[in-house]
Amino acid sequence: MLFSSLPYAMPIRILSLPSADLQYTLNCMDICDLIAFSLCSNRTKHLVKSSKRKIEYIDTEFGSHSSIIIKPPTDEFIFFEFDDSWIELARRNGVEVFRKPKFTHRDWVDHFLNIFNESMINELSIEDVDVSYLDTVKETISKCNRLEITNDCSHDVAKIAFSKLSPIAVDTVALQKNIFDNESDISKLLSLNLESAYLDDHRKPFEIKLEDLLVLNITELMIEIANISEQELNRFLKLWMKGNHGFYRPKVIMLFLEDGREINHDKVFEGINHEAFRLNRTDGKELIISTHGNVFILRFDIKYE
Amino acid sequence: MSSTEQGTSSAAPAEPTTAPESAAAPEVPESFYYVHGKDKVVHKVSAGALQHSALIHGMISNLGYTEEQAKANPFPFENIDGDILQMVVDWCNQHKGKPTPPEDTNLPKQKEKLFDLVLAVNYLEIKELLTYCCKQVAMMVKGKSPEEIREIWMIPTDAEDEAAEKEAKKRAGKEAAGETAAAAGDAK
Repeated sequence: MLFSSLPYAMPIRILSLPSADLQYTLNCMDICDLIAFSLCSNRTKHLVKSSKRKIEYIDTEFGSHSSIIIKPPTDEFIFFEFDDSWIELARRNGVEVFRKPKFTHRDWVDHFLNIFNESMINELSIEDVDVSYLDTVKETISKCNRLEITNDCSHDVAKIAFSKLSPIAVDTVALQKNIFDNESDISKLLSLNLESAYLDDHRKPFEIKLEDLLVLNITELMIEIANISEQELNRFLKLWMKGNHGFYRPKVIMLFLEDGREINHDKVFEGINHEAFRLNRTDGKELIISTHGNVFILRFDIKYE
Repeated sequence: MSSTEQGTSSAAPAEPTTAPESAAAPEVPESFYYVHGKDKVVHKVSAGALQHSALIHGMISNLGYTEEQAKANPFPFENIDGDILQMVVDWCNQHKGKPTPPEDTNLPKQKEKLFDLVLAVNYLEIKELLTYCCKQVAMMVKGKSPEEIREIWMIPTDAEDEAAEKEAKKRAGKEAAGETAAAAGDAK
């Protein structure tokens, strides 16, 4: 082999290299090495940032451990467990701990977002954490694309996590626990300004009323399991036909009903003019309704080729 | 010029030797050029080998030297150590007329020289060798922690960077003050 078998070479002043060579050297480094380099100093952090290394996204998970997950374009996911002042990475040569005294949770997340030029965390996932820890999570993540509250959470944790963290989700909320009851109704979620929401709890179906569908402000909603009566659906369709809602944001509502339940179409469409489950309003808007087994789907103004 | 000629190099510039070629191909005599580094040791290198260096290739194209003129006027690279230039010349000779493989095994063995090699190769604009050298620099820190990287690549801490910046500002201020004083003296 060309280069000797020393563990590493005599030190070299990397920062004295011409900038193009330094840049090329950084381009040759893998993501983990690049992160380690970024932690050497502020200067190295800026160099990594300016190298514009592409990644797909950064996720975070908070459960028994706090993790940052990086998805590079080609490689497998890279997991870091972290806490104040340290971050742990499992690599081929074992688990390594990188220390950064005085770094908080927030500093770690900001550091990763900064060096990879990402504006926000892609997914914030909440598992069963201590309720008091949710404040730390809120301080750590200022914005995320998608919030996921998993079914590992206790009811209380899921409820508080939703109330504290749903405002920071800009695109999607996925809730795997039905936390809604009389004092905290589902309209709090449905009225959020979101692109999509996925509610998924097979043990405790989500109760849906006409009012919930009327306040819905989410483009794509999927509820599994949804409990809604034919009468409520009928009232909703009638109101929609009357054009009571000039602008109705939702494009798709997908309701998974309880296993074995079949929607009674006669009751749903009672008093409504439709052509093969297509409802056409005088203002030109169209609503297509379809059922697949126990799945009831409403599609608004979706044009098909 | 006091110099020793090396390289493909020989003690004295030898007559161009041509590689055996197929009988059908017309024989084109190969031209040679001469380069020297800081140590003034002259290396005789064929034009084909020097084509790897965009800098030297450009110089050759512009000068239109005859063999005699080239011998009398070696290209001086005073900013490159003799041993580094020797490595570069050797590499260029080994890769004459051939594309560089992705994993090049014909590079110098001394890692200690890597940094100087990168600077020289960058200056001489030998793209393929530069690419490989930069990969080797990156490999030096593969799997290392930030502390180890700081040591291997001699990266100053933030405190050291701040102190150096302060020192540089102070020096710049003093120089500016000195220039102002000198200008005032001249005006008088």
